[in-house]
Amino acid sequence: MAKEVLKIVNLSFAYKKNKDIFSNINFSLFEGEILGILGPSGTGKSSLLRLIAGLEKPSEGEIYYYGNEISGKNKFLPPHKRGIGLVLQEKVLFPHLNSLENVKFGIKGSKKDRKEKALDFLRLLKAEKFSQSFPNSLSGGEQQRVAIARTLAPEPKLVLLDEPFSSLDKGLRTALREETKELFRKTNTSCIIVTHDREDAEIMCDKVLKLEEGKIMEALFSS
Amino acid sequence: MLTLNNLLNNFWKLIPIFCLFIFISPLIFVLGSLLGEFNDNWSHLIEYVLPSYVSNSLILIIGVSILSLILGVGTAWFVTNFDFFGKSWLEWAIILPLAIPPYILAYTFTGLFDSYGSANEIVRYLFNLESSFIFFPNVRNIYGAIVVFSFTLYPYVYLTTRMAFLNQSRSLMEAGKLLGNSTRLLFFRLAVPLVRPAIIAGLALVIMETLSDFGAVEHFAIQTFTTGIFRTWYGMYDLSTAMQLSSFLLIFVAIFIFLERSERSKMSYSYANSTFKKTDSLKLVGLKNFFAFLFCFLPLFIGFILPIIELLNWAVFFPSENFLSNNLISTLFNTIVLGVTAGILCTIFALLINFLKRFHKSWLLDFSSQLLTLGYALPGIILAIGIIKFFSFLDKSFINLLLEVTLLGSLIGLMLAYVIKAYALASNTIESGFLRINNSIDDVSLSLKKTKLEIFFKIHIPLMKTSILTSLLLVISEVIKELPATLILRPFNFDTLAVTTYIYASEERMYEAASPAIMIVLIGLIPIIFLSKIIRDSRPGS
Repeated sequence: MAKEVLKIVNLSFAYKKNKDIFSNINFSLFEGEILGILGPSGTGKSSLLRLIAGLEKPSEGEIYYYGNEISGKNKFLPPHKRGIGLVLQEKVLFPHLNSLENVKFGIKGSKKDRKEKALDFLRLLKAEKFSQSFPNSLSGGEQQRVAIARTLAPEPKLVLLDEPFSSLDKGLRTALREETKELFRKTNTSCIIVTHDREDAEIMCDKVLKLEEGKIMEALFSS
Repeated sequence: MLTLNNLLNNFWKLIPIFCLFIFISPLIFVLGSLLGEFNDNWSHLIEYVLPSYVSNSLILIIGVSILSLILGVGTAWFVTNFDFFGKSWLEWAIILPLAIPPYILAYTFTGLFDSYGSANEIVRYLFNLESSFIFFPNVRNIYGAIVVFSFTLYPYVYLTTRMAFLNQSRSLMEAGKLLGNSTRLLFFRLAVPLVRPAIIAGLALVIMETLSDFGAVEHFAIQTFTTGIFRTWYGMYDLSTAMQLSSFLLIFVAIFIFLERSERSKMSYSYANSTFKKTDSLKLVGLKNFFAFLFCFLPLFIGFILPIIELLNWAVFFPSENFLSNNLISTLFNTIVLGVTAGILCTIFALLINFLKRFHKSWLLDFSSQLLTLGYALPGIILAIGIIKFFSFLDKSFINLLLEVTLLGSLIGLMLAYVIKAYALASNTIESGFLRINNSIDDVSLSLKKTKLEIFFKIHIPLMKTSILTSLLLVISEVIKELPATLILRPFNFDTLAVTTYIYASEERMYEAASPAIMIVLIGLIPIIFLSKIIRDSRPGS
């Protein structure tokens, strides 16, 4: 049976006191599984990812990662110690580094190993031909390929994707989500993808949860 | 539980509060003087000089405000909305007078327009007139001072207003035109009211610089609050009355800053919205073209070109013995060391405090950071008095006993004054540098297992190279120009370029004052040219 990677228990989040974004959320994610969180804007989908990544603290509830508590009432593991990858909708490549240096940024090891590994991941994302290009000379799709390569290069066990394809045109979007899915399968990486696009969720995910009015309403489907 | 990690985290957060404490202490000593006794000198002050301190300061502020507004807003309007001869270089050259401190313009003005000044000599020579004939009016009066301050300080109004005009949408102006307004009416009824907060922000800087000045008003022998404080202290040997006078000026400055900040908080309405369309420039021809050029060129000519010509005239045609003497070289060295040290200190503080603000949302951090930037508005003379009292208190309390050194009269006091005065320049530059870095970059870096400190050194610093350099240059240029605080706080026999220029000018040895004055201008020009480049690169709607 697959290992439980992430367990969310009674998780609540509020930016201000008594102004809950969502409350009492529960779900689990297993190794190699791709979970979709679907819902309209402003329901707290991105906040949920930020809580898992450790960029925000929950107002209540706990988050367990491989059985260890990483966020809770008396426990909080800072984001740089969690090793959870994050890809955002915005293009946030480091503008002063070229694609290769961007991907190398999170890899540990000798100079040579880091370079080889970064090139491997650029190759996997079909982005090796612009390894020397700086972000400002790349198209939206190319930037997102590099961003995904950068997230996967440190080989995180869990990757969080926040509307990663929403700013891409249709053709590119279809190609990139299929390639990304295949890559996750190949590397047995677990993934949570947040989207408001039902098609994204259906194509990419094994299981889809719907977040609405601050609650997980239903599991839309589960393979 | 208090862990070492917690302690370290809190230690970093305490830095701005510690800085605030050090920054505020001298002011507390100044304001504390109001609780003391008001001695007999006050009756003399009230009867004979205080009314003229107040009235002269007010006339100066009002006159300088009006003239700076006309020059600053007018030039900004022309270069933003019209195409005319010379616009491409005038739009950045207009800020060059910022490199000339008011006291240097005052010295060159008297050198030019006094009875036997260069300008009157030229007129007499050209028209073959008698040597008693005086063409130009006397400038050693309050009207001369108004001209001097306005022509050196108007670029502050120009900079803030031009930025606001650039952000003004064409759609708004088109709507105004469709409602029957001519271009001239649009200027008064729409364009200016929309950028009012920006104009006030620039004007506030002009007023604060005018109030703080010592060198120019002293040279023109105008009794203002600043010269009054100096005379009460050095003429009447009455430090406590000087401090009480300073307190009143400080309270006035505080009220003024409060009003300015509340006005600035309304600034956002002048910025572009999503329907922004850039304003097109209207090509001017004939007389209008000539008038626009003249209007923009005149402030540059009077505020920059004329004083440079006069300084070069003194330095080249009347070379004095001290021109590039060892003494002057060591003075230059002192000045650069002070400027660079203050620049580095201010930039480090600004980086640290703004970095903490980025990661720790706390009202205390925001509040201390806001307060720290108010130092810019403090007149140098008040700072100097406060630091002297603060340091003599520290010396008497424990520094003398524990460390067997004296803070008073050391370079530390001078450096503290510079850092307090120039911190706002560094902080504003670094803060806008941080704002340009998307917060998501930090989030992604954290998810790539980087610590905050690694993000600071590997992401923030490389991305903010220009901001860091600008901050350094702005502080250096401010420190090099600062006169009253340096004059009072410098250690014995320690001269800077500003002090040397002042001493020569106060002895009417203008030819000797030329070389240190040229050096001040040259060093001051570096950040201005840098700033000009940024202006050249900023295009509306881009």
